[in-house]
Amino acid sequence: MKRIKTDKNGRFFIAIVLIQIGTTFLFPLLWMVNLSLKTTEDIYARPFGLPMPLDLGNYGKALSEFNFSVYFLNSVIYSVVSVCIILLLGSMLAYFLARMRFRYSGTIMNYLVLGMVVPSSVTIIPIYMMLQRAGLQNTRIGLILVYSAFGIAGTVVMMYAFMRSLPMELEEAALIDGCGIYRAFFSIILPCLKPAIFTRAVIEFMGVWNDFFIAYILTSKDGLKTLQVGIMSFFVNLGTNQWGVIGAAMVISSLPILIVYLIFSEQIENALTAGAILK
Amino acid sequence: MNYYFKNKKAMLLFALPGLLLYTTFVIFPLIPELLISFQKHNGISSSGYVGFENFKWVLTNPRFWIGNKNILIVMAFSTFVGLPISLILAIMLDFQGKKVRRFFRTASFIPAVLAVTVISQIWIGIYNPQWGLVNTVLRGLGLENWSHAWLTNQDTALICVAIVFVWQYVGFNMVLFYAGLKSIPKTYYEAALIDGAGPIRSTIKITIPLLQDIIKYVLIISVLGCMGLFVHVKMLTSGGPGDASMTVIYLLFNTSFKDMEFGRGSAIAILFLAECVLVAGLINRFVAREKIEF
Repeated sequence: MKRIKTDKNGRFFIAIVLIQIGTTFLFPLLWMVNLSLKTTEDIYARPFGLPMPLDLGNYGKALSEFNFSVYFLNSVIYSVVSVCIILLLGSMLAYFLARMRFRYSGTIMNYLVLGMVVPSSVTIIPIYMMLQRAGLQNTRIGLILVYSAFGIAGTVVMMYAFMRSLPMELEEAALIDGCGIYRAFFSIILPCLKPAIFTRAVIEFMGVWNDFFIAYILTSKDGLKTLQVGIMSFFVNLGTNQWGVIGAAMVISSLPILIVYLIFSEQIENALTAGAILK
Repeated sequence: MNYYFKNKKAMLLFALPGLLLYTTFVIFPLIPELLISFQKHNGISSSGYVGFENFKWVLTNPRFWIGNKNILIVMAFSTFVGLPISLILAIMLDFQGKKVRRFFRTASFIPAVLAVTVISQIWIGIYNPQWGLVNTVLRGLGLENWSHAWLTNQDTALICVAIVFVWQYVGFNMVLFYAGLKSIPKTYYEAALIDGAGPIRSTIKITIPLLQDIIKYVLIISVLGCMGLFVHVKMLTSGGPGDASMTVIYLLFNTSFKDMEFGRGSAIAILFLAECVLVAGLINRFVAREKIEF
């Protein structure tokens, strides 16, 4: 760091460049907000000027025509339930692999790593048919099961690494005191893994929340669509001229995740990079 | 102790639910997929086995090869333009104070947090021929004749899609690189400075070699991301104009869920999986072969 401290001008110059580039990342988002406040004529006449006159009608129109609350609720249900299932089943399986004496634990681990190579786009055809045959197509449960299944492998691999770092003495003491293995897992091991669980929850939540491909193929009923799929069909139905309404719908649908991100930005960045650092 | 860890009932209870769910939806589907790829199948019922007919159809279909060529172009663009930008930004960021770092990390990460549908729709506006950002700026600079309909032009559609994809994840990759940079001891740079190495030289000789594991990880993620390109294409160009921005997964989607040719779609899926395994294997084999301990 010494070199840098002596070179104050260089550092200042880089700071200016970075702030400029950072603004280019924000610019399209600010532009989207700007569009959402303009009338259609204003957009065509002065696409980059500030809204003149300020028009809040777009939001009214977007809220009345865009089924935001239905899609939003669906997205919340899918991601929250899937994340809970993934974390519960994943950490239980990881505990089994890390602690219990089973001859084929190594094989099971390799079997799980294998699944991390298979992208969901490859097996979507048979999954679609399986759900159709089981009567689970166009149901919430079907979608949740698929999301949960694809989250398990990564979660187990990461939780396994964390569990191996916990000392055996933790459970030994508990077991001697007469605590059963289930209680040892739920009230001793899981609380010790809070940071790892939070990290994994963030990764899986972002994955399910922003997924488009799986939801798009497995749901066709409007009442079951996620925010991502819902907003696309809204754009398609709206046509290309009403950019003010499109902008308003984009702002409304991005707000929840943006608020969550701005509150937890540091933790979310750390969580999403944790996977890379563990390697 | 052993009694607890060898408790058969507990073992079943801990292992089975997760393994069952994972097997049912991640591994097992590969079997029906392989079977369907040898059948004529419309998604509901099969009209019998057709041998290698589906694979022959895929491999002689020019659209499949256009799709492969296109993902190669996007991959090259992302690897040789996107990743170096992310790495340079991460190195620049490493020299900064807390406030600038905080602002820049958050700002550049936001596109990766937002949904692809929203990002794509914003860029449809940016590329809009009449009032979009690109053409307005070009007109402002007096380059009127450079402005055109970016997404509906045969020559620019694919690269415009690639730019959106790379732009969205530049910040994400940068944060990954930055996390790796923080783990390199600063004393190495001080030693290099005393030995007379400038910033560029110490980047090439110290930063990149010590970052090789992260570089490999980012490379695999971004390359597989390019290969599976679908949502950006669907939103921005629908694969067009013509097949100018067709990708393999987009073809898979159209073949199975639009044309109802699930046998052919499965054949594309099997070939695509083989490509993914091959590419990931190649990167694993040739990038960062020797471990560096530090």
